[in-house]
Amino acid sequence: MTVGSEIRQQLRPGLWKTVNERYPGSMITKYDLVPLAHLDKPLSECRVAFVSTAGVQLKGTLPFDTVHPIGDYSFRRVPTSAETSDLEIHQLKYPTAGAEKDINVVFPIERLRELVAEGHIKELTENFYSFIGYNMDPERLERTLAEDIAEAVKAEEPDVVLLAPA
Amino acid sequence: MSVEYLKEAVAANDRERLIRYVRLHFGDGNEEAGRKEIDKAWCEALKLLIDHAETDREAILSTIEKNDPATLAHLYFRLHFYFIERSGEWIHDGRL
Repeated sequence: MTVGSEIRQQLRPGLWKTVNERYPGSMITKYDLVPLAHLDKPLSECRVAFVSTAGVQLKGTLPFDTVHPIGDYSFRRVPTSAETSDLEIHQLKYPTAGAEKDINVVFPIERLRELVAEGHIKELTENFYSFIGYNMDPERLERTLAEDIAEAVKAEEPDVVLLAPA
Repeated sequence: MSVEYLKEAVAANDRERLIRYVRLHFGDGNEEAGRKEIDKAWCEALKLLIDHAETDREAILSTIEKNDPATLAHLYFRLHFYFIERSGEWIHDGRL
């Protein structure tokens, strides 16, 4: 596959259709092409950010709202210098037993710091970003939360942003 | 399930669809589990009152009087999980 043909191909084109058939209206529907992004320099020269739906946050901050029937449309900044013992998870919709033992399985903050220390990545952004995935208003999710996180991440000037569900 | 689904149900006064949504929410996607969770929360609340425990009615009335209906609705959902936690039978994968 050439780079040109890859750019014209939608990533997992059937995903939104499949999810919307099972949970009507619960997903943002996209029919326009979202081109794949290409890295134009080595990771060892890149500043990396991480965005997660894991519901990870600093202890002592307002817990994510796990009880609201429509969801929580806020996000938390997680300093990349934070100790894992300073982090906690507020989330009801995925099994957290493994992550409670080692938060890196959903929020690999120590693993990414190790990659920086070993020179595989140049540096991490000052913060990583976290929210909860239970959001039943996809339009609001796109209009507010997604835009808010995108703006906050962009301000940290990363070269690479890793997006990971939990 | 989505806000759009709920708005359609409200417009059609379709209570069955609304309660189905609540059950799915409390049951983590399992309607029957959600129905049992609602029953469990009410039983836990009832158990606290059958011995005529002293309660702060002024606090209850003040909470209702001082807060808007949406905040009270949010509290209502929060109280469900409060009583579920008290029951000691936690079916959810994560935590509040």
